[in-house]
Amino acid sequence: MRFILRRIGFYLLAFWVSITLNFLLPRLMPGDPVTRMLSRSQQRLEPQQIEALQQMLGVNGGPWWQEYPDYLRRVLTGDFGVSISRFPTPVTEVIAQQLPWTLLLGGVSLVIAVVLGNLLGILAAWRRGGLLDSVAPPLLVFIGSFPYFWLAMGALYLFGVMLGWAPLRHAFSVGLTPSWDPTFIGDVAAHLVLPALSIVLVSIGGWMLGMRNTMIATNAEDYILMAEAKGLSPSRIMLRYGARNALLPSVTSIGMSIGFIVGGALLTEVVFAYPGVGYQLLAAVQGLDYPLMQGLFLTITAAVLLANLLVDLVYVRLDPRVRVA
Amino acid sequence: MTLPIRRRAVTVLGIGAAAAIALSGCTASGTGAGSGEAMLTIPREDMGTFSQNFNPFSPTAAPMTQQAIYESMLVYNPANGETVPWLAESWETSADGLTQTFDLRDDVSWSDGEAFTADDVVFTFGLQRELLGGFDYLADVQAVDDDTVQFTLASAFSPALFELGQQILVPEHVWAQQDDPANFENPEPVGTGPYTEVSNFQAQSFDLLPNPDYWQDDAQHIAGIRMLAFAGNDGANLAAINGDVDWAPQYIPNIQTAFIDRDPEQRHYWFPPTGAMINWQLNTTLPMFSDARVRQALSMALDREQIVDVGMSGYTTAADCTGLSGAYDAWRDDAIVDACDWTTLDLDAAGALLDEAGYVAGADGQRTTPDGQPFAFDISVGSTSSDWLSVANIIAQNLGELGIEASVDSPDWASVVAGYETGEFETGIVWSAAAPTPYQFYRNVMSTESVKPVGEQTFDNYHRFGTPEADALLADFAAASDGAGQSAAIDGLQQLFADEAPVVPLFSGPEWGAYTTERFTGWPTEDDPYATLSTRAPTTVLVLTTLQPVEG
Repeated sequence: MRFILRRIGFYLLAFWVSITLNFLLPRLMPGDPVTRMLSRSQQRLEPQQIEALQQMLGVNGGPWWQEYPDYLRRVLTGDFGVSISRFPTPVTEVIAQQLPWTLLLGGVSLVIAVVLGNLLGILAAWRRGGLLDSVAPPLLVFIGSFPYFWLAMGALYLFGVMLGWAPLRHAFSVGLTPSWDPTFIGDVAAHLVLPALSIVLVSIGGWMLGMRNTMIATNAEDYILMAEAKGLSPSRIMLRYGARNALLPSVTSIGMSIGFIVGGALLTEVVFAYPGVGYQLLAAVQGLDYPLMQGLFLTITAAVLLANLLVDLVYVRLDPRVRVA
Repeated sequence: MTLPIRRRAVTVLGIGAAAAIALSGCTASGTGAGSGEAMLTIPREDMGTFSQNFNPFSPTAAPMTQQAIYESMLVYNPANGETVPWLAESWETSADGLTQTFDLRDDVSWSDGEAFTADDVVFTFGLQRELLGGFDYLADVQAVDDDTVQFTLASAFSPALFELGQQILVPEHVWAQQDDPANFENPEPVGTGPYTEVSNFQAQSFDLLPNPDYWQDDAQHIAGIRMLAFAGNDGANLAAINGDVDWAPQYIPNIQTAFIDRDPEQRHYWFPPTGAMINWQLNTTLPMFSDARVRQALSMALDREQIVDVGMSGYTTAADCTGLSGAYDAWRDDAIVDACDWTTLDLDAAGALLDEAGYVAGADGQRTTPDGQPFAFDISVGSTSSDWLSVANIIAQNLGELGIEASVDSPDWASVVAGYETGEFETGIVWSAAAPTPYQFYRNVMSTESVKPVGEQTFDNYHRFGTPEADALLADFAAASDGAGQSAAIDGLQQLFADEAPVVPLFSGPEWGAYTTERFTGWPTEDDPYATLSTRAPTTVLVLTTLQPVEG
C-alpha cells in the first residue's frame, strides 16, 4: 500500500511539472498566433486589423504571473478555452472530434503489433537458430528502418492506386454518415487496414526483438531446465514458464506505447489523410495555438502518466519482487 | 517460412514507390456519380479536418464560405484586369472623391427567401469594423433607398472602390440577432451565393448544394460542391493524380509528368503570374543597404532566369524594375521597363557600381564595405518553403561570383517573420501586398508612414524604406478621381521604384491551378481568363457560376 501511495505522489508531482512546462514552452516560441496565421497565408493586413484580430482571438493575455494561476485553474476544471487555429471551436470539441479516430488507429495497430511481435519473439527464441529466428528479425528490422513516410507512400501507391484493394484516404467513404450500421463499420475497417498495416510493419520488429532477447535469457534459467526435467510439454514450458517471465519488460513498453497513442500518428495521418489528432497537434504548434496545444499536451501527459501508473499497479500483481521492495 | 512472400512484397513495394511519380496507365477510380449529377470535387490541402464554422469573419472559416456562400458587390479579376459587377449593378464616385455610391441589384434574395437590401450592406460594414477593424477612411455608410448604398469618405481614397466593393456581405436579419457574432459558428449559413445549402457535414468532407433562391437564373449548372480535407499536399496531389477531384488548386511538383501526361486530353493546368510580387528585401536601416546603388548592384548580380527556371520550375515570370507583378500589367509603364537595366544580369556593371559605392574587392576577390568589414550578410527564408529556399541558394551563389559572402539562414517561418517585424534581419525573401491596384504595394515598400523604427513591430514595410516623394505620389493617387490621374501617379511611383530599388523584386507569385474536363467544362484558361484557378480568391464565384457538367 505504501508503495502505491508513493507512486501516486510521484505521479502528481510529474503531472505538475509537465503542465507547467506545457504552459511555458509555447510562450518561449517567437511570434504570436495572428502573425503566424498571416505569414502562412502570406497576407498583409493593416496594423489596426491585426490588433482587432488579436482582440477577437483573445491572444492578448496578461503577463505570465497573471496567466499562470488562471491556467492552472482552467486545467483542473477541464476548460481549455477556444482553439485559435480552429476558431471559434472549443478545444475540448476539437479533441473530442478527433481523439476517437486516433485511439482506434493507434489501439488496433498497437494490439496487433504487440501480440504478433511477442508471439514471433517467443517462437524465435524457443527455436533459437531456426528458420524464423534467423530470417524474421533482420527482415523486420530492415523494414522498420525504412523512412516511415516512404514506406506508407509506397504501400498507398501499390495497394491503393495500382491494385485498388484499399481506399486512398480518410476514415470512411465520402457520403456515409457515422452510425453503428454494419455497412459503416465495414467501411471504417476497410479504411483502417492500410494505415494500421503500415504502422504494424514498422513497429513489429522492435517488439519481436525485445521479446526474443529477454526470452533467450529466461530460457537459460534453472527453472526451465527443472521444468524440462519434470517432463512438462514443450508448449507449456514455453508459454507458462518462459514467456510468462520474459513478458515483464514488454509490459513496461506496452504502458509507454499506450500513453503515446493519444499523441496521434502524424505521418500516417498526413499520408492517408486520417482524421487523428497528430496533424492537429502539428498545426497547433505551427500556428502557436496555445489553448489547443495545452489541451493536446495535457491529454498526452495524462495518458502517459495514467498508463504508467496502471503498469506500476499491474507490476505489483505480476512481479512479487516489487511488493517486497 | 514467411520468407518468399515477404521478400517479394518488399521488392514490389520498392518498385511501386520508386516509380510512383513517373508511372502512368492507371485509370481513375470512377467514384463520381453519373455525369449531370456529379459533384464538383475540390481538395483542401491544409485542413486535416473541417469544423462546421461558416462564419465569414472568422479567420478559420470552412473553405468556400467566402466564395460560394457569401458574395460581394463587385469582383475584381486580376487575370484580365476587369471588374465584374456582382451584387451591385453599377457604382459612381463623386467628383471630389468623397462619396462612393453603389446601385444594388433589386432581384437578389438571401437563401432563406428574404430580400437583399442596402440595409444589409450598411449592417455588414458596421459588423466588419466592430469585429475586424479596417476601413478607417469611412466617415459614414448610408442606405439611400433599398437598392442604393452610399459611402462617405473622410478623405479622398480611390483604392476604396475595390475594398468596399469586395467586402463579403451578410444578412442583417440573421446576424443582428447574434449576441456574440465573433464566436458564432454559423452552422447553417444564409447567403446570396450560388451554393449555400450545407449537406452531410463530416469531419473530412462536406457538400454545398444549390441556393434555392439564387439571383442568377442560368448560373447553377453543377449539382453541388464537395470539399475533401487533406493534411498535406501529398494526399491532395494523389487524389488529383488519381482523378478523384475535378479541381486541384494546390501546388503539384512536376505537374506535366505527374498529372497532365496521364490524360493529356482532359487534364490541364494554368499558372498565371497574377499573385503578389516576391521580393528579396534588404534591411535599409543597415548602412550597407542604405545606398540605392548597392541595392541595384545586388539586383544586377542575380540570374533571374535561373531563379525562375530552377527555383520556381519555370512556372512564373521574372520581375522588372517597376516591381509590379503580373496582376498589374495594365498599369505597367513599358518605357520605364525598357530604360532600366538593374533587373538584368550584368556582373560587370554590378561590379562597377559596387566599386563606385566604395565596396571594392580585395586581393582575395572578397569585397569589403567602405569601413573595411567583409561584405557579408544572411538571407532569411522559412524552412518549409522549399521553392523559395532554392531561390535563396541561387541568390547566394550569384552573389558569390561578385565577391559577396551571402549565407542562407532558414529557421521556421515564424521566427523569420518575427525578425522581419521588428527589423532585426539583414536580408530575406518576402511576399508583398496583393490588391486590385498597385497602391498598397507601393505604399508598403516606399511610404514614410509605413516605416517603423527597428525594434518596433510593423506588419508592412519590413525593410523600413520610405521617401517623401512616394508619399506625395501616393496621396495623388488616393485623391485622383479618374483613371488618367491614377495612371499618372502610378507612373511616377514606377519611376521612383526604378530609381530607388527599395526592395529587389524577383518574380511574380504564380496562382496555382489544375483541373480535369472529365466531368466539368468551362474552366478559365489563358485564352479565356475570366477568372484565375484559385479556389480562395474573390474570382472563384465566377468559375462556380460558369462550369457546366459534361453531358451523357
